[in-house]
Amino acid sequence: MSNRVDHILETIQNATSSKIEFDKKAILTEYHKLEDNQSSIAIKVLSVVGGFLATIAFLGFLFLSVLQNSEIAWLITGLFFIGFSIVLNRKYEKLIIDTFSISAYAIGIFLLVFGLKELDVNENLIAVFTIFIALISLYLTQNYILAFVSILVVNISLVSLLVFIHSSYNLIHLYNAIVLIALVYVFLFEAKIIHISAKLSKLYNPLRISLVISFLFGLGFLRTRNFHGMQLDYIWHYAIVLFIAIIYLISKILKLMHVTNKNHQIGSYVLSAIILALTAFSPSILGAILLILLSFYVNYKFSFALGVIALIYAVSQYYYDLNYTLLTKSILLFTSGILFLALYLFTSKLAKND
Amino acid sequence: MENINREDVQIITRNSNWQEIDIFNLLHLNIYNTKKDWQNFLTLFFMSLGVSFTVAGILFFFAYNWDDLHKFVKIGLIQGLLVALTLILVYLKIKPVLKNVILTGVTMLVGVLFAVFGQIYQTGANAYDFFLGWTMAVFIWVLIADFAPLWLIFIALINITFGFYIEQVIIDLPDYFAQTVFVLINAFFLIVSLLLKEKKYIIPNWFSNLLAFVVVAFATFSTIFVIFDNGQEFFFITVFTVLILYLLGLYYGFVKQRSFYLSIIPLSAIIIFSSLLIKQIKWNEYGMFLFIGLFIVVSVTLVIKMVLNLQKKWRNEQ
Repeated sequence: MSNRVDHILETIQNATSSKIEFDKKAILTEYHKLEDNQSSIAIKVLSVVGGFLATIAFLGFLFLSVLQNSEIAWLITGLFFIGFSIVLNRKYEKLIIDTFSISAYAIGIFLLVFGLKELDVNENLIAVFTIFIALISLYLTQNYILAFVSILVVNISLVSLLVFIHSSYNLIHLYNAIVLIALVYVFLFEAKIIHISAKLSKLYNPLRISLVISFLFGLGFLRTRNFHGMQLDYIWHYAIVLFIAIIYLISKILKLMHVTNKNHQIGSYVLSAIILALTAFSPSILGAILLILLSFYVNYKFSFALGVIALIYAVSQYYYDLNYTLLTKSILLFTSGILFLALYLFTSKLAKND
Repeated sequence: MENINREDVQIITRNSNWQEIDIFNLLHLNIYNTKKDWQNFLTLFFMSLGVSFTVAGILFFFAYNWDDLHKFVKIGLIQGLLVALTLILVYLKIKPVLKNVILTGVTMLVGVLFAVFGQIYQTGANAYDFFLGWTMAVFIWVLIADFAPLWLIFIALINITFGFYIEQVIIDLPDYFAQTVFVLINAFFLIVSLLLKEKKYIIPNWFSNLLAFVVVAFATFSTIFVIFDNGQEFFFITVFTVLILYLLGLYYGFVKQRSFYLSIIPLSAIIIFSSLLIKQIKWNEYGMFLFIGLFIVVSVTLVIKMVLNLQKKWRNEQ
């Protein structure tokens, strides 16, 4: 293994003009730790699902037994559980305690929120306080699963603060736009983010996946168009943000593919812009396309798969969208399909020219 | 050259004075997709989107059920399109994978044809014979093309056909029995695909993993249904099927070193056992909730520990 590390360090040094100082000892220590805790998607899913189910059972127990009708007890137990799981994570940086620590953390957050709510604390304050707690735990421990849950807690609190507490359902688009911008930034500025600090470089992977999940969750809201009087008019605002994000991404892709010919560039932009304008009638489709392109750009396979599933789902759900007649939707889809085929011809011609 | 992944980049960034611009360059060079990858991906992506959006457009158009269109025109249009596309497919000089994408679109059009037929002659959209016809009509294409997404559509069609058949023809079976049938159908395809993989056929991992996931999901549901359903005339078949399949799956996971199987099967078993415990609960007995919670945490932790140890062992063997 030390051999492999040497090779990697050599490769990195060779690719750089200036001399890099490596802390070899610290690097090897991290690799040794990784050796025993090599995670995989299957293991992460196990911890999350197991932790979730256990949390439900424990909450059932707590509410039925010791904590009946005592808000202060909920609050104290909640804080205790959160603190406990953070201490546990800081002390043992081991994968096997994940299930235990995330269920403790989730129980803590639940009890805290319920306790504060029962004590009639202002709901805005509860949301802000929860965000604060989650941010503190992110600062204290960068364990993958705990960070994933914490960032989701931040996002859920944020959406509650903006949308649910005040029943201002049109603000869901503002929330979606914030998540979208954060998502694009995190995907495209990976080097910058992991370079800022050691903590952020540890938080990078959980941050990325929880933003993907929040993004898809936001798209899901759009599907239920008449959700609590959410107005159709404002969906356009979100579609425009998506549109700009995709065009920005296209400019990056064109640069990466060395498309320098002005006519080819203009052709790509015009064709893409027309297709995007046509699909903008269903922002979920637009969002899924963005996620697929972003994930392919940074070669992140898990969210690529999620994007493909989201796209299939969005197209099939478009059928039930009652805002347009089937004939309108049929024309929109058919035209964009033909244009995609035109794009296909265009790219395969460019590929042949190379 | 050494294969560098994200984990390496992050660890080394934390412990060196590596500059941002150099990290950026290395990411692009070693981890991100290159120009060549993008060319391959974009041709496939645009072709897939082109075909699926066009077919969806056609489907929506016929679902609109335009009264002014005579029934012969409707059916003739789709059939004409089918014939034209199939001919294009045969004579077009493009990569096989792109041909397969078009064929997948044509397969969906066959469904549209059956649906329009049903629309005109009022056979109903969920009649099992509609799906049976569709399945049989595309079987030879599926076999010849041997394209994973097309196989997936085919397997889904078989599931749907059986589902409606059980619902519409064999009416008085318990709910979980349909689930058990789904388990058997998908397990059949999973086992065949894994056996073919042994014979060096190229079968993508996502395909067999997806099938395995579907099998485990249906197995979990059907067993939970058995647990909560009291008229258990067929319960033996369900329990026996699930048990045999899970043992096979665990064996496969151990021998082939696939931690995916060793994770989802125990997770399903834990869920099934927890529902057995839940069934014992009278709703004021809170002690049982504590027990279930502890059981889940401890058992999931043990499974993770086992998988971690195995992964380490497998890595050392390499």
